[in-house]
Amino acid sequence: MTAKTITIDPVTRLEGHGKIEIFLNDHGDVEDAFWQVSELRGFERFCLGRPAEEMTRIAPNICGICPSAHHMAASKALDDLYDVEPTPTAILIRQLEFNAFYIEDHYIHFFFLAAPDFVAGPDADPAERNILGVIHKLGKDIGARIIDVRRKNREIIKLVFSKAPHPEGGLPGGVSRGITSEERKWIKEIADDSVAFAQFAMDMFKDLVLHNPKNLDLMLNDAYRLKTCYMSLVDENDKVSFYDGMVKVIDPDGAEILRFAPRDYIEHIGEWVELWTYIKMCHLKKIGWKGLVEGQGTSLYRVAPLARLNVASGMATPLAQKEYEQMFETLGGKPAHHTLAMHWARLICALQAAEHNQMIASDPLLTSKDIRNMNLHLKHIGVGCVEAPRGTLFHHYETDDRGLLTKVNLIVATQNNAAPISLSIKKAAKEFIRQGDIREGLLNRIEMALRAYDPCLSCATHALPGQMPMMVNIRNTDGQVIHTLGRT
Amino acid sequence: MAEKPKIAIYGLGACAGCDQAIIDLNEVMLQVADAVDIVLWPLAMDFKYSRIQAMQDGEIALSILSGSVRNADHQKMAELLRKKSKIVLAMGACACFGGVSGLANFCGKEDIFNWVYRNAPTVINPTGCFPQPETDLNGYKLTLPEFFEHVFTLDQVIDVDYYLPGCPPPPELIGNAIVATLAGDLPPKGSALAPRKALCDTCPRNLRKPNRMEIRSFRRIHEVEADPDECFLAAGIICLGPATRSGCGETCIRINVPCRGCFGPVPGVMESAPKFLSTLSSLLVVERDDEIKEAIDSIDDPVGYLYRFSQPSSILGQKIAKKGLEN
Amino acid sequence: MEAYNPKVVCFSCNFGWGYLNNEETLGATILNWIPVACSGKIDTHHILKAFKAGADGVLILGCPEGHCHFQDGNYQTRKKVCLIQKVLGAFGIEPERLDMEMAIDPEGKKIPQLIARMKNDLAKLGPVKRI
Ligand code: SF4
Ligand code: SF4
Repeated sequence: MTAKTITIDPVTRLEGHGKIEIFLNDHGDVEDAFWQVSELRGFERFCLGRPAEEMTRIAPNICGICPSAHHMAASKALDDLYDVEPTPTAILIRQLEFNAFYIEDHYIHFFFLAAPDFVAGPDADPAERNILGVIHKLGKDIGARIIDVRRKNREIIKLVFSKAPHPEGGLPGGVSRGITSEERKWIKEIADDSVAFAQFAMDMFKDLVLHNPKNLDLMLNDAYRLKTCYMSLVDENDKVSFYDGMVKVIDPDGAEILRFAPRDYIEHIGEWVELWTYIKMCHLKKIGWKGLVEGQGTSLYRVAPLARLNVASGMATPLAQKEYEQMFETLGGKPAHHTLAMHWARLICALQAAEHNQMIASDPLLTSKDIRNMNLHLKHIGVGCVEAPRGTLFHHYETDDRGLLTKVNLIVATQNNAAPISLSIKKAAKEFIRQGDIREGLLNRIEMALRAYDPCLSCATHALPGQMPMMVNIRNTDGQVIHTLGRT
Repeated sequence: MAEKPKIAIYGLGACAGCDQAIIDLNEVMLQVADAVDIVLWPLAMDFKYSRIQAMQDGEIALSILSGSVRNADHQKMAELLRKKSKIVLAMGACACFGGVSGLANFCGKEDIFNWVYRNAPTVINPTGCFPQPETDLNGYKLTLPEFFEHVFTLDQVIDVDYYLPGCPPPPELIGNAIVATLAGDLPPKGSALAPRKALCDTCPRNLRKPNRMEIRSFRRIHEVEADPDECFLAAGIICLGPATRSGCGETCIRINVPCRGCFGPVPGVMESAPKFLSTLSSLLVVERDDEIKEAIDSIDDPVGYLYRFSQPSSILGQKIAKKGLEN
Repeated sequence: MEAYNPKVVCFSCNFGWGYLNNEETLGATILNWIPVACSGKIDTHHILKAFKAGADGVLILGCPEGHCHFQDGNYQTRKKVCLIQKVLGAFGIEPERLDMEMAIDPEGKKIPQLIARMKNDLAKLGPVKRI
């Protein structure tokens, strides 16, 4: 029988965005735990009737954290809808922007959200566990570098797609604006800087985690391991790919079980509906819904940085490849199920993005004026897929003869991870809460399991992700709060 | 030393793009963080609800609220911050006019639920169930907040002092707004802290706008290779510039896509949609009734352009929320 | 159940409609009648606000083509009306609820008749099913 309920409500009891419920038994041990997403917006419905090409302008509003991912998935869905191949220059410009987005996005997550736990430590004073605390500890110079790399990459986004928090300008068959040779020089500098920064961040991570036994222990801790399948896009060489590719899925032992074109996603991905959360739980349709279970035979898969590295046979760029090898060596081979290693994988992905942008910046085609293929043929159905920073993202549109939307279906990145996140939290809760001991640092360790996924609730709902402040209510069976814990 | 002024930054039914725009202040943000005491900003730092609740009324100098109001939780938080703050700034198109997600007011909650949980092609839902406000799961009680049938703007729920439009507002305007508020250097209550001109007046393409515009039919942006210097509207491409406030920096125009109106109406106009509608019809030069019909038929989905950011604040779409949920 | 009695707001141009009649006596017999200096003076937000205020239908009476006292106010409003009709549907208001008649009626005798005709049509539609 349940004696106590702990509610970890990330944005306080009042905020409806997402929360964690932990149920204790009479001994104060964890009986069960749930991660609930408590909002929904309905983009798929209110877009109906709108001209399909407006989706590149509407979809980014789903989320201000990963708007570029929605913008790009929408652009690619339009390519497919209008049966048009973007010009080589258009593809370069899109990839340039997408990589710039990967860089700024992955670093904001790492430095704002993840690093505080590792820099200050999970038991540190919560007041120190934020970006200002990180800058305080590491020095203002490093703070300035972090701000600088984020700003510059967001300026690339602004240059080609209007504004970073809500990009615009993707069109079927191309982009709305080209790049001049002066701009190329500037882009090249930013790409070089970004590679240097990526290496610096990588070293910093290793210092913080690999060379710090406490943090290393945490990363390798069983509480943070979850054996699931993994999904990601891979390129034609089976390497990690962000902009385009085939969807590949491996089982918990690493064997390839699926490889399909994004257009066929309906055959392979199912969304299970639960009564207690607004987010739908993705799983592999052919295996079928087996509930929240891990291990061989599970139909749950994970996406996002660690999944990308687990699924692909390597990175697409040389420096990233080296880091990839070191990571799996440290983690004991592929696939790695260590949820906290997602931070590491995230930094490796950012490095690949930066290296790739160096290559793009030197590509002679980048500054060509041939930015659009106008050879459009409406075929009434289009699917666009990108590997977003938080995982594989699908946009599926259908239209009438005028290209007005009649059907929209979206599978957003965080949704793919919904069931595994719930499982990870339960696992961590069981490990860290024993005999009613619910100290703040322990609760933070549970929250770290959630944070590793960098769940972007804005996408699935519209919550603020982030260093989620916690409020913990401990209640008796009547639902009365008998004690309140929280970060001060 | 005098106490630093307290600032709260909070997103209601928001996408976090407004928070990103605040982070885009970059170094300025660090200066702001030095000069003020940020008592609440969930994206970047920890806070405790009870700390806000324990504050004196009016103790917070400025609350910057983004996002629309979609459920009781949003409303409660908005009401609490209103009580505790001297000045409330509605930041972004969602808080000011409803924003893109306000388009949801054009379709019912039931329709959304049916699609999302039953009819979407990837859904697996053998029992046809919907998420419930309250679920009993093996004796555990799990609750979800229920959402309103309607999306509200911030000023339909609480009293708002100033508005900062844009989706999201550009960092320069955010910086100016914060500085102006702290210095007490503010226009009359209810003003938007943004330029007063219409976008067309600051648009670089205005130079090439013909004196008398004549539109016979409309074209969509994907159908044409838009001339990077020509006025969109003159070319028959819908551009909300004439009815929209400037201040965005013409960022969309500069990448060769037309304006969609995220800065809301020009000063003195309650809503941009009727104004734009009047402008649009006056530019049409077609004579006979059937020609008028044909030209107007060539505008696909006018509603989606006119109300892209403003359904909840529009004459026909607006509703007033019940106040005082907190008590 | 109470019988449905549709409310019609009628805007009419002073120069074409009822100018020979005394505005006050005519006005006393017609509910929600708003004479204006030119149909071109009727702006979009007037029409939308009439619906907002609870009108079941809005009728606009302008001068015939080429007869506008102010160049082409009637023609401008004609176009506006067509465009507004295309927008109303999204708010649950059928396009038929907005109508424009272009003619001359110095005595204004037809005004009540036209309103009655519109009411009749509206009665078939029933009350507005607002979103
Ligand atoms: S105004 Fe735009 S950026 Fe701000 S919360 Fe709304 S959708 Fe996001
Ligand atoms: S209509 Fe658009 S393109 Fe033309 S001047 Fe105005 S803002 Fe510029």
